[in-house]
Amino acid sequence: MSSVTRNRLVAGDSTTSVLVARGVLAASALAFFASWLVLFQWVDETALVAGVHVLKLLGVALVAAGVGLTVVGVGSRLEYFESTPSSSAGLPVGFVFGLLWAVLGGLVATRLLGNALAMWLPVAAGFGIVGLLVSVLPREDVGSTLPVAAILVLLGGYVVVGGINAGWTWSPSWSSAVFPGSELVPLLVVFGALLSAWSAAKAREGFGAEGRQSGAYYLVGSVVFAMLGVLALLVAFIVKNGLETMLTRTSLTGGHLTLPFVGSVPWAEFPFLMNQTGGLFVEVPGVLPAVMGTLWLVFGAVLFAVPLGIGAAVFLTEYAERGRFTQVVEVATNGLWSTPSIVFGLFGLAFLVPRISGGNSIFVGQLVLGFMLLPLVLITSREAILAVPDEHRDASAALGVTKWETIRSVVLPAAMPGTITGVILGVGRIAGETAPLLLVFGGSPYPSSYPNVLGSFQFSTQPPFVTNDALLSPASALPYQLYSTITAGVFPKEIFTNTEFGWGTALVLLCVVLGLYAIGVGSRLYFRRKLHHE
Amino acid sequence: MSNTEAVHEPSEPAQQLTTTGESDERVREEWTEYDFAGDAKLAVEDLDVYYGDEQALQSISLDVPEESVTALIGPSGCGKSTFLRCLNRMNDRVKSARIDGSVQLDDEEIYTDGVNLVELRKRIGMVFQEPNPFPKSIRDNISYGPRKHGDLDTGLLARVLGRDDREQEADLVERALRRAALWDEVEDRLDDNALGLSGGQQQRLCIARALAVDPDVILMDEPASALDPIATAKIEDLIEELAEDYTVVVVTHNMQQAARISDQTAVFLTGGELVEYGDTDQIFENPESQRVEDYITGKFG
Repeated sequence: MSSVTRNRLVAGDSTTSVLVARGVLAASALAFFASWLVLFQWVDETALVAGVHVLKLLGVALVAAGVGLTVVGVGSRLEYFESTPSSSAGLPVGFVFGLLWAVLGGLVATRLLGNALAMWLPVAAGFGIVGLLVSVLPREDVGSTLPVAAILVLLGGYVVVGGINAGWTWSPSWSSAVFPGSELVPLLVVFGALLSAWSAAKAREGFGAEGRQSGAYYLVGSVVFAMLGVLALLVAFIVKNGLETMLTRTSLTGGHLTLPFVGSVPWAEFPFLMNQTGGLFVEVPGVLPAVMGTLWLVFGAVLFAVPLGIGAAVFLTEYAERGRFTQVVEVATNGLWSTPSIVFGLFGLAFLVPRISGGNSIFVGQLVLGFMLLPLVLITSREAILAVPDEHRDASAALGVTKWETIRSVVLPAAMPGTITGVILGVGRIAGETAPLLLVFGGSPYPSSYPNVLGSFQFSTQPPFVTNDALLSPASALPYQLYSTITAGVFPKEIFTNTEFGWGTALVLLCVVLGLYAIGVGSRLYFRRKLHHE
Repeated sequence: MSNTEAVHEPSEPAQQLTTTGESDERVREEWTEYDFAGDAKLAVEDLDVYYGDEQALQSISLDVPEESVTALIGPSGCGKSTFLRCLNRMNDRVKSARIDGSVQLDDEEIYTDGVNLVELRKRIGMVFQEPNPFPKSIRDNISYGPRKHGDLDTGLLARVLGRDDREQEADLVERALRRAALWDEVEDRLDDNALGLSGGQQQRLCIARALAVDPDVILMDEPASALDPIATAKIEDLIEELAEDYTVVVVTHNMQQAARISDQTAVFLTGGELVEYGDTDQIFENPESQRVEDYITGKFG
């Protein structure tokens, strides 16, 4: 076993390299967060921190990280620090660095030599090969630090000397896009920070297997963090833009509520939520018709799709023999779920509208959205039913209980959480659906009354015995309202511009969808609790 | 499933030579004849089972006496579980299975047209290898069978109509749990989820669930093989107690267990044939077949 290297069981005391690596990690983290702040414009790109431009500070951080990495890598190679590196950083790392270096070389070459292919391509290829060789040939401690350090120092140095600043723009001739330095620098710094964090995390654990584990942990962690940051920014952006509209003339006790026997009592007033959108006497236009429209749409679609979807799933899993037929149905449902919604809308317009209401209507909207929801409910409930262990079915059959009773009392309750998950996902999609609503549902963009579905039922002794005018009339829904408001150009009331009203509508839509989610998650938790002792 | 592991080369029924055992001795008819006093609860006659083209059981004939424990032992894939599942027609649920022959419960044929499977499985209960309580409360697990058979009604309608069977339900749950020696451990948490019980408790709950529909026969498919020794001892004690009122047929691959709890033992060997059936003491102390002796003393299997 002479070819197996043995490292010391207890790591030696190499505090200097760990300290430097930690410093590099800290610098990367700071640069990372600071760049996001600049990108989101929470910090102005021309701001001065301690008398220095913020972008230059970012460059300094990159250079410092690069220098630190060089110290750790070279120090480890010269056995000045104790570490346990492998013989090479490995080909995958080499290819990544080769690619990065090639890009870098290409950029430098186009800057210095012009855009001719014959000029920059050899330079880029040369840089790429050097990057690959420098990462792969030396020992891991050099191979995974020096290529990173070189990139960091180059990028950071260029920013520090003012090669790129806030006012600088890059408008490549092959594209009509313009990249201002205020966005390009933070983006490059985010990218560089990820690289240096990976390298420093490896160095901190002394390279080798533990180092790679640590590097992967930091890299994946920062990417996840960045993704979550983008999502949080999105929500924060909508809230910031929509909140003022939503809270216009709101007061907690300004309104009045008339109760029987008590009379008028002070009541919270939310004009934007509780008012009609149009009408002569509406001071603050609101989105009540659209909210009601969306709720009715979702309610109808769920009412239509859930029983059908679960029924079909039960048939396919419990009764039908697995074979060609079930496979075809499986493929077809998957296909239906990925069918673009406008296609469903066109079907509704061409087939359902002439037969049911003769024009846009809530009922057709509910049916079309129900068709869209159906495949997802079917797919998820089928998976959930298949996941119910056969032992339960056997146990029930051994007690002499019939198949249908078993499905009803054992299989479906056990499959409930999975089914609800599917309905939640589906409702999230259809509640924000706009395209089919444009074709089969939407009416006036500024409705002056909300759809009074419950109050419109009329019964008669003649067929069809029950009618409902409200269901057969067009209405407004939040995504439809949003679309028609922001494309209208001018808002009829002076209190809002159409953009302000749009942001308010978007915020309400977000709240409604999150509310529906909350209901779904709550009911799923309830069924989980019932099934497992949690 | 272990059932499909049985590999067998087709052979003439007249001269059944095993091809997989250590010796090529022939099964003699008198080895499987077992005389006992009293009536046969279950009478099996010439039972053949095929999974697709593979024969899993070969012409098994065996009578099970009333209110006793019958152990079925044998190596893996010998068809003992298949045999057990034929007794309450659970093999009907396996699509590839084909069953020939006759099984009689109290002199009534169960393999004919028009047999009421609900009634059959009410009379012949079953307990499985892995404890498989439903993800419901302990109470609901016990009352599941009677409710589904319409013997208990605690629904809203029954309550409105004044026909609420809550007291009967409580009574039945207590009786079943006491009979399965579980009452003392769960009496104050009947509404808790059954999945929160330990493995041994879950298995006794499954036995109680089978008892709740008041069967005559209880089939057990290696009921203790997934349990620790203490839980196993409790299940074994319970089986012996149950034999006072019920006919118990238990499959096990643990020979000591069979020797401890059973009154008579049937030995199945590879190829799906019944080699010897008789008094447990006689089978374990003085078997007539050389292969059974080899198997019991651990020389093969």
